[in-house]
Amino acid sequence: MRTTVLKALSVLAFALLMIGAVLQVDWPEWTAEGDANITNEEVGQAMFGQGDDQGYALVLFLIGLLLLVALLGGIFLAKEEEKE
Amino acid sequence: MIPITYWLILSFLLFSIGAYGVLSRKNAIVVLMSIEIMLNAANINFVMFSSYYSVLHPTAPAAQEALGQVFTLFSIAIAAAEVAVGLAIFLVVYRRYKTIDVDKINILRW
Repeated sequence: MRTTVLKALSVLAFALLMIGAVLQVDWPEWTAEGDANITNEEVGQAMFGQGDDQGYALVLFLIGLLLLVALLGGIFLAKEEEKE
Repeated sequence: MIPITYWLILSFLLFSIGAYGVLSRKNAIVVLMSIEIMLNAANINFVMFSSYYSVLHPTAPAAQEALGQVFTLFSIAIAAAEVAVGLAIFLVVYRRYKTIDVDKINILRW
């Protein structure tokens, strides 16, 4: 019980510290001419575009491969052991 | 437009809830769920700072503006892989020890 309260207090202290730090920063204001809404087209451009700072889809495919390997490993680990 | 500080506060609160879950809960599945909450707090930061960047730099290329969203997609994929492996490990641990209490699973050998 006591350790739970201690953990809760330490997490709360961390949250308050971070929130206090954020509130102290003088963030630039949102400007009227800027557009904060990123469209799906822009995300698609970033992933599949041909420019120098575009084309992140390959990395996503590699991560997809990692996910596949992780799933296969998970199935292998969770498989029932055969009784001899 | 919602100010950036509100998003950051939401993110820190989510992170703190996740951290509390990891520190205090004993069920391994709840610990995994808490880790997911912490990852989602990081994802909110990615998307929020990306939107903020695109507002502050209206002439930036579209692909640069959407970089945070793309990294969030990566992060979600990594989180899915992590949960798949974690659940499989907990399944094996349950078969071996008949518990997934993280306080009782304290040796890293079979």
